[in-house]
Amino acid sequence: MEFPATLFPSYFSVGPPQDEGGPAPAAGWGELGQVLEAGPDHHQAETMFVPRRGRTGESWEPADAAAVPFLPPNASCWIPSLLPQDILYRSFLRRKLQTSKYGPTLDFTKQLSHFFVDHPEDAFGSLGKLLHKNFHLGDSGVKVSGFRDSTIRMTALMEEINRLDARRGCPQEHLASRLRWFSHLSRDWLFEVPLGLLADCVHEELLLQWAGLLFNDSPTGGALAWLPPEDAGTRTGRLVYPGGQAMNHLYFQDVVLEELPCTQGFPAEFELNGRIRQVAAARLDGEDFIGVRSDYHCGVWSVPGRTGAAPTPLQVIRTSMPASCLTVSPHLPGELAICTQSGSIYLWNVKTGLQRLRHDPQTMFFRDHSPWRWSGFTAHPRVLSCADRTGLECLDARAPERCHFNLFKVGEEAGCQQGERVVLPMYLGRAHPSQHLVTTQFSVYVVDERLPLVPVLKWMHMMKSPPLFAHLMPGDPGRSHKLLLGASRTQEMLLLQYEGKNWGGMSACQLVGPPQKLHSIASCLQHLPAQLPHHHHLLQKRLSTPAAGLAATLQKDGSQESLLVFQLSEAGDVFYQRLTHEAAQPPAPALRDETMAALGSSPLFEDPASSPQGLEEEEEEEEEEEQTFYFEAAALRYRHWLKALSRRCREPPRHSCPPTFGQKRLFTRKELQTPAGPSTLHSQARQQMQQAMREGGRIQHWDLPDAQAPLIPQPPEPVEGPDPLSTRLTASWSGDWSLWWEQRSSFSRAQRQRALRERRQRQKRARGRRSLSASFTSSLTYQSELSELSDAGPPPLSPVVPQEGSLARGSPPPSPAPDEALLSSQTLRSRGIPKERRKTLRDYLGVYAEGPPEPPEFLGSQASQLCIPSSQSQLSSASQTRRKHPRMGF
Amino acid sequence: SSHEHKLNFRKSKDLCLNYIQDAMLQKQWKRAAEFLTFYAEALEKDFSREYMGPSEIIWRIGTEILCHHSHSSIKEFNSFIEQMKTLGVKRYLKVCLEHVFRLLCNGLIDEAYQNLSLAESWRFGEQTAIQDKEMKLIQAYKGLLDYYSWSKQKNILLKLGQDGFEDLSIEQEMHSYFRKAAVNLKEILKIPGVWDLFLKSYVDLLEFYGDEEEARQVLNEYAYNSKFPANPNAHVYLYQFLKRHGESKKSLISALKILHDLVPSHELMIDFNTMLQKSKKRKNRRLGLEVIFAVLDYAGWKENVKAWSCLARQMKQIVISEKHLDWIKQEWNSRKDWWPAFHFSYYLAKRNWQENESLSYEKALVAGILLGKDCKYFRYVSHQGCKAQVKRFRILKKFVKKHSPDYLRISG
Repeated sequence: MEFPATLFPSYFSVGPPQDEGGPAPAAGWGELGQVLEAGPDHHQAETMFVPRRGRTGESWEPADAAAVPFLPPNASCWIPSLLPQDILYRSFLRRKLQTSKYGPTLDFTKQLSHFFVDHPEDAFGSLGKLLHKNFHLGDSGVKVSGFRDSTIRMTALMEEINRLDARRGCPQEHLASRLRWFSHLSRDWLFEVPLGLLADCVHEELLLQWAGLLFNDSPTGGALAWLPPEDAGTRTGRLVYPGGQAMNHLYFQDVVLEELPCTQGFPAEFELNGRIRQVAAARLDGEDFIGVRSDYHCGVWSVPGRTGAAPTPLQVIRTSMPASCLTVSPHLPGELAICTQSGSIYLWNVKTGLQRLRHDPQTMFFRDHSPWRWSGFTAHPRVLSCADRTGLECLDARAPERCHFNLFKVGEEAGCQQGERVVLPMYLGRAHPSQHLVTTQFSVYVVDERLPLVPVLKWMHMMKSPPLFAHLMPGDPGRSHKLLLGASRTQEMLLLQYEGKNWGGMSACQLVGPPQKLHSIASCLQHLPAQLPHHHHLLQKRLSTPAAGLAATLQKDGSQESLLVFQLSEAGDVFYQRLTHEAAQPPAPALRDETMAALGSSPLFEDPASSPQGLEEEEEEEEEEEQTFYFEAAALRYRHWLKALSRRCREPPRHSCPPTFGQKRLFTRKELQTPAGPSTLHSQARQQMQQAMREGGRIQHWDLPDAQAPLIPQPPEPVEGPDPLSTRLTASWSGDWSLWWEQRSSFSRAQRQRALRERRQRQKRARGRRSLSASFTSSLTYQSELSELSDAGPPPLSPVVPQEGSLARGSPPPSPAPDEALLSSQTLRSRGIPKERRKTLRDYLGVYAEGPPEPPEFLGSQASQLCIPSSQSQLSSASQTRRKHPRMGF
Repeated sequence: SSHEHKLNFRKSKDLCLNYIQDAMLQKQWKRAAEFLTFYAEALEKDFSREYMGPSEIIWRIGTEILCHHSHSSIKEFNSFIEQMKTLGVKRYLKVCLEHVFRLLCNGLIDEAYQNLSLAESWRFGEQTAIQDKEMKLIQAYKGLLDYYSWSKQKNILLKLGQDGFEDLSIEQEMHSYFRKAAVNLKEILKIPGVWDLFLKSYVDLLEFYGDEEEARQVLNEYAYNSKFPANPNAHVYLYQFLKRHGESKKSLISALKILHDLVPSHELMIDFNTMLQKSKKRKNRRLGLEVIFAVLDYAGWKENVKAWSCLARQMKQIVISEKHLDWIKQEWNSRKDWWPAFHFSYYLAKRNWQENESLSYEKALVAGILLGKDCKYFRYVSHQGCKAQVKRFRILKKFVKKHSPDYLRISG
């Protein structure tokens, strides 16, 4: 427990933070901070200096191009996470209001109406039954004269409501008098629950949801834990993670660390009573203790160190307020610290029970509204650290009232910025017994208990969302400690290295090496084979769910060291990536990395046979072989994962009725907007198109392995003669436009017949061919028909242009989804079809596309994306409303 | 429209910055450098009123890239920084300071000194509070470099003196270095902060010229002024100073007592304990026991043989003399519910025996006294020790058995 003989110079002042900063994009670069003399003896001839930041660190290179799935996709009928547009008021007033300082405009009427539609019995059951006879729902007028006085016709009212809905967002929107009259009349008595009360509750819940959307601190600490092997000789560790539909199953999975980490046997499974928010673990006397936190329950398990020993649950406690923290003591077996949102901190010993150390609903150093609290352990087993958003304090469990000191304060002491708040504290005991990590939304700090308030290390981490997870891998003497930071919403992960030991003694803490970004789960999307657009969308959504935890382990294989990082997503998927340590720094890997990134190609799906062999030297060949083996294995895992995912998603949800499609409104506002940014696929397609235009060649040059490639059907011949628009204009100019139209329509009829005939022939021809060309043919014919209908705009392009190298041989390449591309408003608009005519066209196409209805392939929430946009009327779009209520707490 | 133009420009600027960040975080320095050349355009149309403007971003990112780029040299780096210095007046001193740090870390001490002198003479309007702080730091680092030159001259002079020569010019030069260093170092030590490096140099200077009074005052100020952070090193320096100058035991003990109150786990506590154990005063020996118990509370000392042998020695003394068993009792009271699991578990007994025999011996002695002869730790270790035919373990077993009634008095 030596204290460094000299510390880096720094100013010290007290008080609230002066620096009015904000998220600064490059704040973490370029600074060395301070310097300190390096040698223990400064009477030497030359004095050497070391910087606080920026010394060369160890080099860890990613072994693969993306994160690889580790476990099969979580078996959840996965509920998509809440999006801002789900609860924000969706009108063009929104833009104006959102920028104002009154905060977001929550669309709480929508939520209320969802409730009324989804739960009519609960909303107005009894009065509905009473008034049943007085409401007439038929189209005809009320006939029987006896009832005329006491019956009102609701159909007109319904129409009025529908019309209102269609006009949503219109500035001239005003309530129809009939509606106003009805609501005025019935507002006070119609509802089962008083409307004001209900509205208050809904509004409160919406505000909570919105706050959670902006920053959700419930997964703080992370729900993934790695239990390392008992000794370095055995290679079986254990991964503890949540899963299941509601993430309420706890799994203990044995993992063998080979070339690739593999699961061994079936995981031990426990079903819990709530969604698992956090899993914390510590090893003590050869036994692992695992604390599990859900909102109202905390439990502790123990796993004996032997491989294959079964985990045993030890104790569970229930809290009346949601718990916000659970940490396991690294000093005493069966001891944990718990915090609840009411501001209480407990020391929990499995043998002696709970001891409340503090109860204070107020924050420590200044007032902050967040009820979040955290607690951890320190170098002294009886001293606990407790934290809120304003700082950290240490208190002695034996006399919590008297003995405490401030460890970290958001203020000038630590050089904080205004608005900076503590996000995650962590005890770094495995690297140094008296050091703690504190992360805020802007910076990371390392603080030492022996020098409170003055951070021994500070660095602006530049992460886009605050780091909620951290994992420490202590380095051996002379090596750096590795620190992983993980953010939830953006899935960012950073690898930092720091050192605190040099020349045989303690030295001041230094950050070494540049920070390094690791792959996020979502980044693997670009390396996957191209998918059907809706599959792609689904996959994208699944892969970019917020992260829920991270864990890592150092693995030594002879001289080769590697770092294995696991990342858990909120959907319950576990991905991993490997980094290898390079003792000396050959420039080759960096280069490879750069070219790879520049080309955007994916080594994951590269055919090993197609990689250029001639250039390689023998020495490299071996390595290459190993690499390709690795890539192949990773690619295989991807395929399995994708297959399992699509299988799980395909299981049809049992709808009582098929989804209905309305034609009243063709496009929602959202669809008419231009997409935010073109995807890589788009840009590639565009690039290829431009190239084709330059060269005057064709766009579709399929790299088919067999020589039958030229058999691909020819693109439709362009319409001969002058362009139809000019003929039409000329005709109308000269006055015989009607004649032209007649000619034109008969011509087009003939043409359509010809096209049909051609298609039949082509189908005959293609029957023997592979499924690829078949799908291509059908989509092509479809397009050729459209090109006539749309008054001959430019011939439509196939929306999917195959990427080179991204197609795995043997697997069928993706076929474009024709209807989507055709009916999308953009396509129509790009053809210059005026808005009012698009409906006609759509109707026409709708008739045209009529066939046997396809069975719904996806979950309810996705069905609406698959089909033609349905009417926004809440009565018909049941799938959208259904998705809401579990999270609204109804 | 111009508004839209601004918006688009800003968008592409941010996008470019994102690319740079991404490349840097993946250690693709060449790629980042290429993007940075595009980003430089952001300087021309700087509409932003943001916290961190493009010029600062370019400085930071450029510096970082030049440090890692395989084709960069310190010469290029210098010219880049010179350009950066002209980009922002507010940042001038900070850029200078960082430049100096970089030069120092590359061993270019003379160039660093020149840069410090230049920066020191820089004036531009009224200084802000931050600039004031930076200026003070620049002066302090200059003082530090002066001190290193002084110490070099001193060594030469001492060497010459050994050989029986004298060199007046070197001596004069040395004195002038002293004057320059002392002025600047003294200045920064007045401001609250962590100034270990500067303080040590300043005290060394003062001690050489025999100004003990001033040195003592500076050290006392650094350690006891409540405006300064609670830096354990401040107390260590003071203690070392007092020890060097042969101060009385009493003042040494009082200095260490304060350090004990601040950082009970400090490594000097072992010295403190030895010092107190030797003391004739009962109060001091009592304090010694308290100190060593407190040290062993901390996880970092768990396997330290020295600390355990200190405790074992003192406890043995107490048990043999049969006086002051209540001291042990008092210390044990607040620890008996967690020390057994923390220090004396069966698992630890096995591991300590395997890894460090003498540690297990010392711990077994303490466990035997505190928990009696039936305690798991003591039983395992003494059994293993006897089996391995180690003499001291047999004596240990006898000792603990003989004094088992004392255990009852401690635990009771």
